[in-house]
Amino acid sequence: MIRRKNTKMIVIFLTPALILYALVFLYPVIRTSVMSFFKVETVSQPVSEWSFYGVGNYIDLFRSNLFNVSMANILRLWLVGGIVVLAIALLFAVILTSGVRLKRFFRSVIYLPNVISAVAMGTMWLNYVYNIDYGLFNNVIKFFGGDPVMWTGPVTLFWSMAIAYGFGMVGYHMLIFISGIERIGIDYYEAAGIEGANVFQKFFYITLPLLKGVVRSNIVIWTVAIAGFFVWGQLFSPVNLSNDTVTPVNYMYELVFGASSSANTARNTGAGAAIGVMMAMLVVIVSIVTTLITRHDDVEL
Amino acid sequence: MKKSMRVLSMFIVLLMALTACNSGGTPAPAPTPAPTAGDASQAEASPAAEDSGIEPGAQLVYWTMWNEAEPQGQVIAEAAEAFEKATGVKMDVNFNGRDIRKTLEPALAAGEEIDLFDEDVDRVINNWGAYLLPLDDLVNASYDDTNGQPYRSVVSKTLMDLAEQLGGGSIQQIPYQPFIFTVMYNKDLFDNAGITSSPKTWDEFLDVCAKLKESGVDAITVDDAYMAALFGYTLDRIVGAEKCAEMVANLDFSDPGVLKACELWENMVNEGYLSTKAATNVWPAGQVDEFAKSTVAMYLNGTWLPNEIKEQTPGFNWGSFAWPAIESTGDGIEAHNYGGQSYGINKNTKYPNAAFAFVRWMTVGEYDQKLADESMGVPMANDATWPVQLAEAKEVFDNSSIRLAWAANMEDDPEVNTVIKDGLSKLVTGAYNAQQFADSLAALKK
Amino acid sequence: MAKPEKLKEPLNLKKEVRLTPGYLLCAIWVVFTFVVVGWVICASMLTSSEIFSGTMMRTFFERLTSFTLRFENYVKAWTTQKVSVFFLNSLIYTTISCSCIILVAAPAAYALSRFKFPGNALIQNLIAAALGIPAIMIIMPLFGLVTSLKMTNTRFTIILLYIAMNVPFTIFFLLTFFKNLSFTFEEAAAIDGCSPIGTFWRIMFPLAQPGIITVTVFNFITIWNEYFMSMIFANKTQVRPVAVGLYNMIQSMRYTGDWGGMFASVVIVFAPTFVIYLFLSEKIIAGVTGGAIKG
Repeated sequence: MIRRKNTKMIVIFLTPALILYALVFLYPVIRTSVMSFFKVETVSQPVSEWSFYGVGNYIDLFRSNLFNVSMANILRLWLVGGIVVLAIALLFAVILTSGVRLKRFFRSVIYLPNVISAVAMGTMWLNYVYNIDYGLFNNVIKFFGGDPVMWTGPVTLFWSMAIAYGFGMVGYHMLIFISGIERIGIDYYEAAGIEGANVFQKFFYITLPLLKGVVRSNIVIWTVAIAGFFVWGQLFSPVNLSNDTVTPVNYMYELVFGASSSANTARNTGAGAAIGVMMAMLVVIVSIVTTLITRHDDVEL
Repeated sequence: MKKSMRVLSMFIVLLMALTACNSGGTPAPAPTPAPTAGDASQAEASPAAEDSGIEPGAQLVYWTMWNEAEPQGQVIAEAAEAFEKATGVKMDVNFNGRDIRKTLEPALAAGEEIDLFDEDVDRVINNWGAYLLPLDDLVNASYDDTNGQPYRSVVSKTLMDLAEQLGGGSIQQIPYQPFIFTVMYNKDLFDNAGITSSPKTWDEFLDVCAKLKESGVDAITVDDAYMAALFGYTLDRIVGAEKCAEMVANLDFSDPGVLKACELWENMVNEGYLSTKAATNVWPAGQVDEFAKSTVAMYLNGTWLPNEIKEQTPGFNWGSFAWPAIESTGDGIEAHNYGGQSYGINKNTKYPNAAFAFVRWMTVGEYDQKLADESMGVPMANDATWPVQLAEAKEVFDNSSIRLAWAANMEDDPEVNTVIKDGLSKLVTGAYNAQQFADSLAALKK
Repeated sequence: MAKPEKLKEPLNLKKEVRLTPGYLLCAIWVVFTFVVVGWVICASMLTSSEIFSGTMMRTFFERLTSFTLRFENYVKAWTTQKVSVFFLNSLIYTTISCSCIILVAAPAAYALSRFKFPGNALIQNLIAAALGIPAIMIIMPLFGLVTSLKMTNTRFTIILLYIAMNVPFTIFFLLTFFKNLSFTFEEAAAIDGCSPIGTFWRIMFPLAQPGIITVTVFNFITIWNEYFMSMIFANKTQVRPVAVGLYNMIQSMRYTGDWGGMFASVVIVFAPTFVIYLFLSEKIIAGVTGGAIKG
């Protein structure tokens, strides 16, 4: 770190970002956090109509079956999904940086699903890949002589959603890994090659340790995505909530806007705000923990 | 190179920013004096404009729940243009789509100028009741475009009564595009199976199902959007509407009627009357994959169904009948969920007469009929013709004296809804039996 | 020092064989992607009943081979559904926002990553925290604020919001890049009498180009596909961007069953992002390997 007095520059460089931050993050977050301790019905209710409720919203949430199911869902998504998706992304990143031909082509195609609107992808998965009669997966299974699987049935719907989501995310995380791997100097690999290291040894002793920072970034980015998991939950249960696809933000949406077909659903923006606060906390915790773990391992290249 | 890139980008930014500031524009229209062209058109237009006391220089900001792409949206756009030509009232229509449910309230609360808005008849009163202008005087008055009759008498009585009831004795909204939620069926498949009359009791219903199964089709199906309604209607016929509402409000499903409802559906599954795809149908699979392809004969759905699958079902022979009665302790075939969309006029509007004139424009006469025709929907005016697909639905509508809440209240609480969905689909896959299903509901009690 | 040239290696069979498992995995993934994306494109040229029959692919290939493909869905989407308007809006929003985001975030990331000053760690953590905040938590209070200022449905508001929402991620991303650049640059520049600000714009900024380009591509795609905020703040037809337009079309399609039209809109929407990505990926490669002085 440079310790020179560059105060003027630092101030100029940071001010615009900080102003925007205060306006667009600080103000709403503070307002929403405060709201989470009050009983508030709708989002535009004036502050005078809020009634203090302490941690009541939080307690109500933890007593709600649906909320607990949604938390269980994102936990499964985060853990299982995270490991699988990041592992596949890392695998592809390593393959693509190990000198295969057509690298650019592969990379573009693998990333392609991430670029297409989630709505289109979700519809395609639901209506084509997972269709019980003529869907892609069942056709392949039938080709090999198996029984068709109920991809969108109770319980399996969750994993189908996870697979569809994961598929689109692999490319994104792969790109981040690639940019990390490509910053590792070739000298290391050459030296190791001279010493007789094979592919796996090169990976575990050179690539992985030097990727700690990038791995951490990917974990944080994945966590952020899972905490805010919303669109895919809506796509796989388009009209109202289901145990298999509900996530905290889906539930929060329902609480704040009463999104279902019934016009009698009570709206509870206070509880919705509480969910928002909890999700933000989760991300902060993961961010801090991963920073602590990787802090001492950053190698200066 | 980098420096020039930076300079270039800043230049572009500046340029764009300048254009951006000009091309946005806020939605609140500035009040302007009535243009002379407007006066001229008023003279040659229909008598409606002269008699209704439309405020001179009126401008209406109308937030609608329809999207421009929908047939309703297209008709509204056309109607608004025609209305402007006929009366000189400037129309500013904002096609929000269903997101109006999110954006309307904050806009109203912040005092944005919105004169007229529409949404589901329940939502208008529940969510935005505080902003509604009471319409009793306007509704009871007579107009030229209602042939000198009071407005109220020329439109659907059922719906005006509903509006009055929802408004606590005062009419605060004008319904339109009514619907009823009842059994929609494929007449050709029924004829094929030799069914001559619609069932009125559950036993007759089972007979119908058996005949359909024999003729090679599934009797009935459902998808995740309508499972709560299917279960709720069944429960309603066993214990009645009030009890249903209580159960959901108190999360108390210990009543033996609940087990009975579960058993009835277990039976439907075992007999093969309920399509196995019901377990895997994600909306709109039930209507698009099964019903539209005539592999299923019946669907408990709304009268919007013909419109939703009209592209796939040209020449479809539509029929409707009331959900059959089950027990005497429950409601009979006169109980259904019905309602509609409705217009609400902002109580702070400067142009109530103009707004009501537009409402009349849409609910009586040419555009009411057009709306019904283009969207295969139900018209409001009593002298309009219902689409041929909904002819039988009209009978059910006219005979519905008890109004159920949506899905007999089963969707009021998402916790209840998700358990029903889980339970019903597990019933189909065999993971649950009736008792387990009933238990999962009973477990909701806190 | 000359830029190392990427030699086109002669076909080294031994090496290729060693890499076969890699090729295989990539190939499977790629084939699947093509099938999946191909389905979307096929569906965009068919009608609803054709899409939901089991013979969709067959119908499509018949049309393809007999040159009778129908593009009405596209025409309809572009003209009657006003997709052209949305397209232009999105173009304006994305280009302006992406440039401004870099102008705001790059200097901030630079200052945070290479200078020690009180509050540095705090600011970095705040930024990371911002990433985890669900958009909905931010949007509603802001909507109340913006409505009372009567600034809804203005281009200025939505652009400002896009910039503000994406700055934290960009800073976060660029932090890593700036951290790994050698300090000799600043020292060399200082010796040459370059001001700190000048050092940044003339030396460090260009060096971070690969990272900046990558993150700009991400931002472009994010803003292009962003629909949540736009739906709330820019819903009037004249200012509506492409993603919201698509979303509305899908909503309409829910009630009219025009799936073919929906998929056509989807293809129109994702085509630019993909093209831009392809085009810019060349730059990314070029940037990564070129020009840095080591250690």
